[in-house]
Amino acid sequence: MMRRAMILGTLMIAFLGVTLLSAHDEFRVIGTITKLQDSKLEVKTKEGKTISIAMKKDTLVYRDKQKVAATELKVGRTVVVDALGDSIDELLALEVNIVPAIVPSPVK
Amino acid sequence: MSPDRNPQAQQLPSKRKLLTASGIALLVATVVLFTAVLPAEYGIDPLGTGAALGLMSLSTAASAPEIAVPTPGEAAAATPVQEGPIAHYAAEYKFDTTEFVLGPYEYLEYKYHLENGASMLYSWTASSNLIHDMHGERDGGPSGVAESFDKRSKRQDHGTFTAPFSGIHGWFWENPGGETVNVKLTTAGFYTSAMEFRFDRTRRPHELTALDAVTASRKIVPAAPVP
Repeated sequence: MMRRAMILGTLMIAFLGVTLLSAHDEFRVIGTITKLQDSKLEVKTKEGKTISIAMKKDTLVYRDKQKVAATELKVGRTVVVDALGDSIDELLALEVNIVPAIVPSPVK
Repeated sequence: MSPDRNPQAQQLPSKRKLLTASGIALLVATVVLFTAVLPAEYGIDPLGTGAALGLMSLSTAASAPEIAVPTPGEAAAATPVQEGPIAHYAAEYKFDTTEFVLGPYEYLEYKYHLENGASMLYSWTASSNLIHDMHGERDGGPSGVAESFDKRSKRQDHGTFTAPFSGIHGWFWENPGGETVNVKLTTAGFYTSAMEFRFDRTRRPHELTALDAVTASRKIVPAAPVP
């Protein structure tokens, strides 16, 4: 009886874990850094939306395809952030690429 | 050594207490699963709590719209019957032409649903070199798990494709630079639906053109008899 309950409980916990893990989607955010605070990055996109992205210690930061320190991230720099999250409002950065400033294309 | 003489054993909870605690944990997990997790993540709301707590919008925002899975009838019509070098289909092929604009560092995926063995012809050209991956995802397979068929940077490609399994098949294009890139794609084949997936998780189904519509738009002039 107890063994059955334990197996059932373990399966239920495993199912819940898989359910929660599978919820994360990949997002790319492209824009200019407007704010850097603790482990958070705020990026303003070309559409004018400001997106807050959490950073973790092992978030990779690149510039010209070379790995650089997170201190290279500065307000005003243009970045391409690949992040995971349930929605655009709840993101965790996996990789941040510092890129040259984007010049808007002339309207054709 | 009997449990009574072991001081550590006296501090351990009894089997009955363990069972009760496990039962309560299981009950709580089940309640959370049915009241919050299933409605929020998958839009399944058996108890109506998802609607009451406003969780249903989370699942629709995360997953909609999905690429249309063909009905059994559509799938049968788009499945080839091989006879030597010829593959016969019960339905006419479809046609699709579309253009995309990829801003700096943006990427998108464009995929068709093809049955196992179904074919299509394609041509695409871009105004600049793109990171490219032609790939497919199996029907019923794990989400986001793709099989690559051609993964090389290129500016254009023209070819024929035969689906090695039923699922969604198409292209990933990424603009690696700071200039905007235009992509033009033209295809014809035995696919049943098409979907555009953008870097910001937005999805947009594309309407396919039936062969009748293509031929109706062209006036067929009979050739003059050769004297």
